[in-house]
Amino acid sequence: MSTRKTISRLASISGLCTAVALVATGCGAGGPASSGSAASSVNVLVEAGGHAELAGVAEACKKDTGLDVNFVELPYDGLFNRLSSELSSGTVSFDVAALDSVWLPSFKDAVQPIDELFTDEAKKDIFPALVKEANIDGHFIGMPAWTNAEIILYRKDLFEDAKNKADFKAKYGYELAAPTTWKQYQDISEFFTKDGMYGTDVKGAVETEWLAHVLQAGSPMVLDDKNNVVVDNAAHKEALDFYTSLVKSAPSGAAQVDWAAAQNLFNQGKTAMTKFWAHAYRQIPTDAAVYGKVGAAPMIGGSAGVAGVPGPWYLSVPKATKNADAAKKFIKCAYDHNDLGIESTLGLAARISAFEKYQDKPGYESFGPLIETLNGKATATRPATAKWQQIVDTVLVPTLQKAVAGGDSASLLAEAKTKIEALVK
Amino acid sequence: MRVAEKIKHDGGMPAAVPAQPSAEASVPAGMRRRRAVNREGLEAGKRSTRTILWILLAASLVLYGFPFLYLLLTSFKPPIDTIAVPPTILPKEWTLVNYVNALGRSGVVASIINSTQTAIISTLLSLLLAVPAAYGITRYKTASGRVFIMAALVTRMVPPVAIGIPLASMMASAGLADTPIALSIAHTTISLPLSIWLMASFFEAVPQDLEEAATVDGCSRLGALWRVVIPVVSGGIAVTAIFAFLASWNEFLFALLMTAIRSQTTPVVIANFQTQFGLDWGSMTALAAVYSIPVILLTLLLQRKIVAGMTLGAVKG
Repeated sequence: MSTRKTISRLASISGLCTAVALVATGCGAGGPASSGSAASSVNVLVEAGGHAELAGVAEACKKDTGLDVNFVELPYDGLFNRLSSELSSGTVSFDVAALDSVWLPSFKDAVQPIDELFTDEAKKDIFPALVKEANIDGHFIGMPAWTNAEIILYRKDLFEDAKNKADFKAKYGYELAAPTTWKQYQDISEFFTKDGMYGTDVKGAVETEWLAHVLQAGSPMVLDDKNNVVVDNAAHKEALDFYTSLVKSAPSGAAQVDWAAAQNLFNQGKTAMTKFWAHAYRQIPTDAAVYGKVGAAPMIGGSAGVAGVPGPWYLSVPKATKNADAAKKFIKCAYDHNDLGIESTLGLAARISAFEKYQDKPGYESFGPLIETLNGKATATRPATAKWQQIVDTVLVPTLQKAVAGGDSASLLAEAKTKIEALVK
Repeated sequence: MRVAEKIKHDGGMPAAVPAQPSAEASVPAGMRRRRAVNREGLEAGKRSTRTILWILLAASLVLYGFPFLYLLLTSFKPPIDTIAVPPTILPKEWTLVNYVNALGRSGVVASIINSTQTAIISTLLSLLLAVPAAYGITRYKTASGRVFIMAALVTRMVPPVAIGIPLASMMASAGLADTPIALSIAHTTISLPLSIWLMASFFEAVPQDLEEAATVDGCSRLGALWRVVIPVVSGGIAVTAIFAFLASWNEFLFALLMTAIRSQTTPVVIANFQTQFGLDWGSMTALAAVYSIPVILLTLLLQRKIVAGMTLGAVKG
């Protein structure tokens, strides 16, 4: 009893002391102040997964310019909320923000132009789709920090197995190899769907892959350049029908399969192929069933050529920061030392030269297919509309989920068109 | 003072309530049998009723306990097992690698310190404001008091996201951006209404005769509050403190909107394990398990007070 009393007293006293100390100092344990950053330091707001990408850049920037870089790391959804609240209030706690490409149109009025950083040399070294996306209303408002695109990952060990090769040739009449046409992709998926394994996955909970098929079929995705809704055209239907045709060669519950689920299935050795973001190639855990047994191939082309949907992040400077010069200095560092991101856990960059520098090194076999996909003839970024995320969440994903569950594609797309028109008008 | 000592001597219960064992002992055997038949709840006389209630209790325990148990077990799995398809409950191999990864990540230790600071300040602020407010409302029973306590309840109905952004702007204007104090004040807006309501119900349960006896013994009104009423409701204060502490300890939205480099709390850091490019289940569950330990310990430490606080209303009148 006396021990309990002593503990209670000690707890009370330490609590009070902490409170008094904090009231007196008003500080936190995390580091320097985040507001009113000095000209010799810069606060960078970044998504947690992208933080590692810029850590090396921060060190190089400190060496080059003496600039101290403080990162504010937030989860993906939270980052959007935080950006929305601070940029709309006009009081910002950061000098540079890493923005997902789909957010650029939403925040275009709250960030300042950085045209001077887009030299002719820079424009040549950045993938064309990204140069186009970074330019809104005639000004460059974000410098690509890293980018990604879906490529094909496949089980090299299964593809090189002599019995599989012989059986496949006997059944389909051609050699088993990484697919270069969608017909081959369908055949291979069907072939490997046996004995508890599946040929591929079908992701019903994310829309990007279907939209890549739309680009390959020769249509702009969802909105044309005049903002007309084209989601019900023949290319969208063709792409959706192809997408759902793979359901029979994929694990059940396709409507709920998202990126994480698809990546898990592949890493566990449950699927023979997956279309996935290129970074995943280097993130296969060393204790995974498929470690060391995976090959990478470029995204397959359709009638319009090879196309992927890039997933870049841009570094932007808010208009409200009082530290714009230091912010731009940091963005220049990020461009100059862009290849340092490749050494990080995420392992991506935005400059073509950075990817090319690594593509022939062992362990970076995914970079060749990634470059090819990003340079694809029909590769294009998502439509520049502030409503995009809303269109995705409320229309595209539900439409896709109904389609993979067996819904009629034509009527689903017609319904989607009506809903999207209501959102964008 | 003598009144308070007497109350403390009786285990925090008013003197008028007889101790349970002695009351039971004085009942004849035949009457005890009849009482056993009339017992309710888990001690119900009918075996079928008892069985159903025990099954319901076990189901509730599984429902509430399993997610935490699964989190705990996942934290000890090797990274590849955390994403196994289909998932496994028990680790095939026990490892501490997730704890090493989680605690080695930059900013984690600082975030735990920040969470602790924020929760302590917020709890103290809540109690400091709620105890006198609730006492005033229950003892002076004015019309404005009734309006005030209803208004406090209404503030609980406002979605936190609606006040989060204005609060963040106000704190920034006051020069408190990215400080534990700003976040504590924000958290107090969540816990204060509940604290006032809880404390009001505890004060209601304390007979006014006790304060009158204290004033007869020479206490002032405030002296009676401090020396008599507060010791009687100490269990209630512990309950209120626990709720206020937990509200701040686990709060995410305000922490997300109002903290950056200096004062980021652990719930935000835990969420950071889910990125656009994947979810680090192992590290996330490991940090969540570590973060749960202080509140579990606090609850165990204050268990007696909490039970006393929960039963305080039962002695009214």
